[in-house]
Amino acid sequence: MNAPERTAAFTLDEDNDERKITYAPSPQIPNAGTFTFNKEDHTMGNLIRHQLLRNPNVHFCGYMHPHPLIHRIDMKIQTRDGTTNPGDVLLEAIDDLTTECGKLQENFDGALELFQEEQDKGRNM
Amino acid sequence: MPNNRFPKLQILSNETHTLQFLLYDTDVSVANTLRRMLIADVPTLSIDLVSVHENTTCLLDEYLSHRLGLMPIRYYDTTVEKFGDASKEFCEPKDCNCEDGCDKCWVTFSLGVQFSDKATDITCKTVSVTSDDLKTDHPNVSMASFLNEEEEEIMQEDGIALVKLAKGQHLYLEAKARLGCSKEHAKWCPVAVATYRFIPEVYLNDTALTQLTQKQREQLVECCPDQILKIDDVTGQIILEPDFEDRATFTEDLHYLQESMKKKPEDEDLITVKQSESKFVFTVESTGCMHAQEIVRSALRRMEEKLIMLKGECAGLSEGV
Repeated sequence: MNAPERTAAFTLDEDNDERKITYAPSPQIPNAGTFTFNKEDHTMGNLIRHQLLRNPNVHFCGYMHPHPLIHRIDMKIQTRDGTTNPGDVLLEAIDDLTTECGKLQENFDGALELFQEEQDKGRNM
Repeated sequence: MPNNRFPKLQILSNETHTLQFLLYDTDVSVANTLRRMLIADVPTLSIDLVSVHENTTCLLDEYLSHRLGLMPIRYYDTTVEKFGDASKEFCEPKDCNCEDGCDKCWVTFSLGVQFSDKATDITCKTVSVTSDDLKTDHPNVSMASFLNEEEEEIMQEDGIALVKLAKGQHLYLEAKARLGCSKEHAKWCPVAVATYRFIPEVYLNDTALTQLTQKQREQLVECCPDQILKIDDVTGQIILEPDFEDRATFTEDLHYLQESMKKKPEDEDLITVKQSESKFVFTVESTGCMHAQEIVRSALRRMEEKLIMLKGECAGLSEGV
């Protein structure tokens, strides 16, 4: 009876004006802060974390998914120095991933074509 | 873009419902994201609303509705001439502009079966109601049934069984299918199997291996349950089986045995079998609702869409601060 809607796991709560990403800078640690990704899970969390850790300017990055029924992830990012801030490195990481994903799509289509050509060649021989 | 990667793919086998491919030059996080997208984020059609008009079968209405929901529905994508992504033509009712359902958000199936219609002769005791009995007017939408012609010949029934009717029983109902993804319910999941495995990397320490006795080498070859090693007939040395990549399961047996063969514990390993950190073999098997290659294509597209959405949100965030 009080079960939440199933769609609540992946659609933003518009009645409460929920934002996809919110940012809270850390009050104690310099160049650090927590990004909250609402209605996201390990699918994107782990991907973005790994990409951020490849950036030498990132000093620390970790994320957590507080509970299986709480549909958000909290990602803490700390950069090495004041020249870059957590927002910039995050944007850069997501941008890189988007490019990578585009490449992946191109290469998948290319690989399919190549495979088809080889198959046809094998059949004609 | 200092940290870009350029992942590559190679198709290993491509059948209608199963696809195997090698993904390399990337990271395990990308492989795992792709796997999770395949399972939970690809939109498909599935029955979501059922109105039962008359049901005198042995199964309850709810039971039937549940079984109906789990039946895979195919959408024929005319642009790629394959069973593909239904989101090209349909949208989810919650995102649709219409008020109470239209052709863009719901597909209606009707089913009406009587025992007497299907019974072939007097000795016939039961008849099956199958997915073939669900009819729709939509030209590109149909119920999925068999994977291939071979299976169609073997199977006794002409579709996926829903319920059996005894003499005098009948079933009339109307079912509405809509687009959804399996984050909401597993019935929208397009894949039966979506897994990846790591390619093994094997290093043979040839200098150390030549110092072993022939008996020790034979022991090493025999102890590996995956049989990835063999002894070269000419030289008597340990070499790799040609198809070791398909067989290695990363057992510890080799590791323990070679520890006992070392003269000193700190000696280098004789044979190391490691999981590659950048090469993954994916296996994708469809439930029948889409061609396997279209599932992967759709998952990749959804992944990009999601990243672009996050990028936009993230850019908006830094402007706001």
